[in-house]
Amino acid sequence: MQLASKAYDVADTHAAQELYHANGWTDGLPIVPPTADAVHACLDWAMLPPEQLLGIEPVRGVAITAEKLAINAVMAGCLPMHFPVVVTALTAMLQPEFLLHGATSSTGGCAVLIVLNGPIRRELGCTGTFNALGNSDRATAVIGRAIRLALINILEVRPGGIDRSTIGHPGKFSYCIAEDEADAGWLPLHVQRGLPAEVSAVTVMAAGAPRQIMNEWTTQPEEILETFAAEMRANMRHYSIWSGNYALIVPKQLRDHLQAAGWSKADIAAFIHARARVHRREWAEVGKRAVVRDRGDTEYAALESPDQLLVVAAGGPAGGFGAVIPPWLGDKSRAVTQPIGACVDCEPPGL
Amino acid sequence: MLTASRPGCEIHGVILQVLDPTNEAAPPLGQAASRAASLAGKTVGIISNGKEGTQGFFAHLDRMLREEFGVADVIRRVKSNYSAPADPDIVDEIRRWQAVVTGIGD
Repeated sequence: MQLASKAYDVADTHAAQELYHANGWTDGLPIVPPTADAVHACLDWAMLPPEQLLGIEPVRGVAITAEKLAINAVMAGCLPMHFPVVVTALTAMLQPEFLLHGATSSTGGCAVLIVLNGPIRRELGCTGTFNALGNSDRATAVIGRAIRLALINILEVRPGGIDRSTIGHPGKFSYCIAEDEADAGWLPLHVQRGLPAEVSAVTVMAAGAPRQIMNEWTTQPEEILETFAAEMRANMRHYSIWSGNYALIVPKQLRDHLQAAGWSKADIAAFIHARARVHRREWAEVGKRAVVRDRGDTEYAALESPDQLLVVAAGGPAGGFGAVIPPWLGDKSRAVTQPIGACVDCEPPGL
Repeated sequence: MLTASRPGCEIHGVILQVLDPTNEAAPPLGQAASRAASLAGKTVGIISNGKEGTQGFFAHLDRMLREEFGVADVIRRVKSNYSAPADPDIVDEIRRWQAVVTGIGD
């Protein structure tokens, strides 16, 4: 199938880099030159024709084709086997409840957190252990970057253009992790959110930067979780008071304590729902007296309900370091979980 | 001279063909409404995103429109979600106004 995109002849890879940088087509890092062969390889792997419409951005009416997404995936460094994950993440972001335009244009400067679950993590070599929120492995690095490049190029989400972020955060280069599903006692995130365990899935969340916590001084679940809840309260005081999806990144060392005491993810969510609450009057302690008004005694919960909490097992085997990942802005954008699936009506090309 | 090359990447002397990553098919643009020559006697709508800072700003603008520009009626509406487009009922109402003020920001 012929590709529809305009092609440019360049002398070498250096010239290709300069072309893409000069046109504002990168995130500032070098890209892999997207050749027709590389783009076709991605499309073939996902069994998608180039003109396949993946969705329409609802606010500006921008149609997103498989070809354009594949070009950006190649640029990010994706191999063909990574592309179905990129497709699923983008289609999840196009669900109305994700509020893509608001989340990607807001001064709040969030990024799209992508969590991978299911068998595909192993097929792609995702680790979910050491340095989970950093540069942990090739697949999560390039999948997260592909989403950012797609936003930049297909939806024109460029700083100062559609992207009005005041400060943004480093997750806007790439913000993808795989859950460490090795713990038999805990349900993986996608199962917690209603999908079968044997399915691979992507969860997307409009997310602020990770807020790291540390508690290596107890084995008691209530004390461990109080540290997470306190960080959420801090976010509510210092950033935004509104309830929405929060993600907790719980490392192995802390999971061992929680699981030894028989605590499930649902137990954690119930505890956090009860503990992550502040009163509006607390704003006065952090310089926001002007907006307390006559509602000082009003109590605000970080979670409208326990199921708003995304508990993710990830992190290296040693260390009591976890993270709270706050929502962009309350429940304006809601996390979306979608299975990674092959099209049942499609046939591999050439058959 | 021998030069190192990787298939499909850098082949000296051979031109590399790369693809445009942007959405070349621009979304359909709406048609701009005709401009009002004057605001005097007109109905002007103000669509606020509902953020804290808009209250004083639009109250002042409302007063300016009436007192300095002779606007007959100022209709103020607030979006239900300040990060989403205006609600359909507000958009429907726009056709009854001669001018509308909206904006983004805090």
